[in-house]
Formats: sequence, C-alpha cells, structure tokens
Amino acid sequence: MDIQVDGKIEYIDMGTGTWALVTDTDEQYEIWQPAPEAILQEGLKVQVTARIRDDVMTMAMIGEVIEIKDFQLL
Amino acid sequence: MKKFLLSCLFFVGLFWALSNYQGLAVQGNYDSMVLNFRNDISADQVDRELKAIAAKYRIEPKFNSSFSKSKRLYIVKGDAQVLDKLKQLEELQELTEYVEANYVYSVDFIGGATPNDPRYQEQWNLKAIEIEKAWQKTKGKGITIAVIDTGVSRVEDLKNTNFVKGYDFVNDREDASDDNGHGTHVAGTIAQSTNNNFGVAGIAYEASIMPLKVLSASGGGTISDIAEAIIFAADNGANVINMSLGGGGESKLMQEAIDYAYKKGVVIVAAAGNSNRNAAFYPARYPKVIAVSATGSTGDKAPYSNYGAGIDVSAPGGAIAKGGDTTGGILQNTIDPKTKESVFRAFQGTSMAAPHVSGVVALIEALGVKDPAKVIQVLQQSSIKVTDDTLNYFGAGRLNAAEAVRIASAGQLGVDDFLRWARDNGYLSPRFWVDGGAIAIIPKLIMVIGSYLLAWLLTRQFPFRWNWTFSNGVFFGGAGLFFLRGFYVFDLIQTPFRIAGSSLPELGNAFSNTNALNPITASVLLPLGLLLILLGHPQWKWFAIGTAIGTSACLATSAVLAPQMMWIGEGLPAIAFLSVNSLLCAGFAYLSIKSETSSI
Repeated sequence: MDIQVDGKIEYIDMGTGTWALVTDTDEQYEIWQPAPEAILQEGLKVQVTARIRDDVMTMAMIGEVIEIKDFQLL
Repeated sequence: MKKFLLSCLFFVGLFWALSNYQGLAVQGNYDSMVLNFRNDISADQVDRELKAIAAKYRIEPKFNSSFSKSKRLYIVKGDAQVLDKLKQLEELQELTEYVEANYVYSVDFIGGATPNDPRYQEQWNLKAIEIEKAWQKTKGKGITIAVIDTGVSRVEDLKNTNFVKGYDFVNDREDASDDNGHGTHVAGTIAQSTNNNFGVAGIAYEASIMPLKVLSASGGGTISDIAEAIIFAADNGANVINMSLGGGGESKLMQEAIDYAYKKGVVIVAAAGNSNRNAAFYPARYPKVIAVSATGSTGDKAPYSNYGAGIDVSAPGGAIAKGGDTTGGILQNTIDPKTKESVFRAFQGTSMAAPHVSGVVALIEALGVKDPAKVIQVLQQSSIKVTDDTLNYFGAGRLNAAEAVRIASAGQLGVDDFLRWARDNGYLSPRFWVDGGAIAIIPKLIMVIGSYLLAWLLTRQFPFRWNWTFSNGVFFGGAGLFFLRGFYVFDLIQTPFRIAGSSLPELGNAFSNTNALNPITASVLLPLGLLLILLGHPQWKWFAIGTAIGTSACLATSAVLAPQMMWIGEGLPAIAFLSVNSLLCAGFAYLSIKSETSSI
C-alpha cells in the first residue's frame, strides 16, 4: 500500500541511529534503506510517496517503516 | 526419617566438601614468615641474636615496614620447610612471641565488590539493577543467550566472553560479524568481558553468546529471517533469546517460531519499541515474549520508550540529551560502523534495555530456574514495584538483578550456598581457619554448619529475607567470635576475649573459665527471653530468632560431642538436658518465624 506523507527528514539518535521522516504532528516514519541518497539530509522538507513495510523489523523501532518510492522537495 | 537421613548425609557431605574446599587452602599461600620478638628484649639483643641466627641458617630477616622496628617484627623469605625449621629453633622459641607464616591473602573476584574494568564507573545502569550483589551468586555460567540482531563482532572487550556457533541470515553464512554496531553493543550489555582490567562490564559475563545476524548494516531485516533465527536458536541450545528489534504487524510465521522456542524452554526477551506509543511493538507484544520498556538514569520512563499494553518489565535503556552529552546513555564496547574499529559508545533505546533483562534471565537460569514460566515469575516478583504506574510504564517494575538472583536461589541447598553464607557471616575469614587450630575447631565447625542447616530448613518452610540482624543472631547463638577465645596477648586480661569468643550457651562458663556448660545459659532460657523481649521490634526480632536457631545448633552439638554440665555432670542427664533445650530453641524459633511470616 502506497501512502503520501509530508514531513521533515531527521536523523534520530536511537540505538546506532536511523533516518526518519517526522510529520508536523510529530509522527515518525523510519526510512527503509537503501533510500535515495538525495533525501538523506537533516532538516529537508519533503513530500514522499512510499510503501509501508510491515514485513520487516528494525533495531531503531521509532515507528512504521516506509520504503520511499518517490519524493518532492517542499 | 528419610528426610533426617538425607540431612545427615548432606551434613557429612558438606563437611567433607568444606574440608577439601580449595578456596580455603588457596587463601593460605605464603612465601615468607613473620618473626615477632618479645618486647622485653632490648633492640640491641634482638639485633645480635638475629645476626647469629641469620648467619647460621642463611636467612635474611628484614623489617616488614619502617613501622615494624619498634614492634620488633621481622620478615624472612622462605617456604613451608624453612618455616618448620625456624619454628623448631630453640633460640627463636625463647626470643620470640611467635613465628608464623606470612599469608598472602589474594581474593578472587567473587562479586559483591566493584570489578576492575576502568570504565565501569560510567555504567550507572549496572548499579541501577544492583548487579554486584547478584554476582556473588552467579555470573551466568553455562547459559547461552542468542543475540538476534545486526551480528556480533568480537571486539576487544568481548575477547574473554564465550561464544557459540551462530549464523548470518542476511548473507547466508556462518560468520555472523556485525556491520552496524548495534548487535555488538547489545551483546556487550549481556556478557561484556568483566573484571579484565579493560573497558566496561557486562551482566552475565560467564554466559555464552550465540550471534545471529538478521538485520543488515542499516539496521533492518525481514520477519522471515528473524523467525528462522528464533528456530535456529531453539534448535541449537540457546536458553535465552534477546531481540532488540521490532516493528511490522502480527505475523503467523513469527508467532509459530516463538511458540516453538517457548515450548523448547527458551526464554524470549524483546524491546518494547521507541516511539513513545501506548503499546509494545511486535515481537515484544506476543504474550510469550517478555516486553521491556526503557528507563533513564533517574529511573523514570525514557522519553522515547513505548509503554502500556504488553509491557512486562522495565530496565535501563538510557536517555541521551540533545546536544551530545552521552553520559545518560548505556556504554558498551562495539564497532564503528564505518571503520569497523572497536569503540566505546553510549546508546539509548529499548534495544539497550532488553539485554539487561536477558542478562538477568541468564543469571536466574544459571541458578537452576529454567522453565520460562517460572523465570518470568521470578522476574516479576523480583522487580522493584513502581506505585501509581497507571499507564503501565514499568510493567512489574524496575529490573533488579540482586533480588532476582536471591529469589531464584531461595530454597537451594549446596556447598556453594553454604560457603556464601559462611562468608557473609564472617566464618571464612582466613585467620579464623588458619589460626583456629588450637581451639576445638571441629565442634565449632559443626555448630556453624548446624546453624546454617537449621536456618535453611526454616527459611525454606517460611521464606523470609536473610538480614543482618538475623545472621548476627545465628552467629551469637551458635558460635560467637570463637577465634577470639584463644587470643593471647602478653599482659592482657583474657576474660573479655573469652567472653567475646563464646556463643550464648557458653557465656555461663566463660567467666569461670571451665569447659562445663552452665545449665542457665546453656538452655532455652536466654533465647526465649530474647524472643519475648524483642519479638515486637521490626529488626531485632530477627536477632532473637537467629539466636534461638544458633543456640539450638550449639546445644545439639554439645549434646552429641561433649556433654559436660555444671551441677548436672556428664553422660545421659547432660545429653537429655541439652537435647530437650535444643529442641525447645528450635521449636520457639519455628513458632516465631511462623507467626512473623504469616503476619506479612
């Protein structure tokens, strides 16, 4: 299932650390790797089209895991 | 009757084991002797005599320290043969107060103390779970913990840690090295090499790690790999599984793997998740998995930790302040993901909290409690309850290793437990054994063991906490500071030492310095009096109960070994008197403990 989310890219210091998309309502999505290099920049505001990966688990456990299909800078 | 016979057999076995106990002999190593010259001889004379002896027997006496000169204390290098020879020298016998072995007391790390790992001081998390007390009983030997994670690399502070064969499910190979740094850190919390003069400490550092890699270098992995790893762990002898990972939805595959492992007796621990949500993530959410929430260094819920539904227990996961101060994190040895070099890093997360629980589970299992349901029960009972936890931040409470180990070992009877007991009560002081030869050590030893057995039987019947006052009561009633009885110092009045060295029943004859027991003190009277006076006091009642137990053991020993009573005499009347009183003491102790424990 693809979703569209707006938010800010943040590096979250949890465990060894992970990249996340944080929405205005402070909801966190963990970005599945590999992700497009260009999106992995602290503070970048983006709209992403992504697939929720509910077949995986991670060590960061900060929220739902999304695999980014496409993104636009906001 | 059968129980009695078994107890007797145990008694004999224990005695045998104790007399063969290596530890006592090891403590008595020496490579030099102490010569203590009499104080009434002038320094010049000592000098003269010493030179003569030194020349004659080719020894080199030296002062022990610059303070020793005034005390006329000399040290001579040599072994047991030299010591024997010196002891037999008539010249020395005349001139010295004593010649004795200069024992080197080297203490093996037995827990209850701080390990020598230099950065242990920074591990607030280990102090928070009271690990040092737990180490007195076990360090997890014989238990295997599967770390299902990003792999585990054998960094320097894991060099002394045991590893068993693992597997890399990401790359499908046997070598399960870490390329992220997470799994190595988690393994460090569980079993970092400890007391190795390097780095930091781990919880169950004598346990074995089974590294299972299911998460890639970026920290994610598939549910199918994780389920396979769980089955691998269960099939390859893991006792505990640690999963510092989570996410996704409920999965039948995962559920089946967990059920399979649980049925095989594996205890499964998982992190609750780090999204500050009211529900643990899967796999922690599954009923048969212990879900661990995280606390910070203050003991409060860490800001990120999930809580509420499914949380079983909380443990230190750390909380790192924004801005880079990592002192609130959990410090372990791991790898730098880029350079793969060994580094010490402080992380935060329920990922860090779960291995604390896995480590403590290993300690519980090492004490023989292996059934997962029972292990979980011990964890729940031992956790420090948090009141007003309406949102279930903490589950059963805050993890406590000391209490978990205490509960897991309650009801255990064995040489290890006895030795621990003896040490805690001061019976293992090296002086006590080495210099105690002149005093009737065997009856005293039997009294010590008898007190222990009686106390053990009663605590088994009525579980209560061993505490300081109780132990002292047993000591006072049963043995006294008996090594003091033979304390002989020139010109000193001996009575105070004899009294301090007496057990309660012997007090009556300590004043008059006879071996015949006084029927007033060597009876149920004093323990009963103490019980009546002190039973209302919250702490001292345990002293009174302990005294009754100790006295009972002491009287029973006297009844068997050397029944000699003032006024009553020897033989059957004395035996009958001592036996009846011993039974009465045990009876009163029993009744007191029964009423005390039933009122809790």
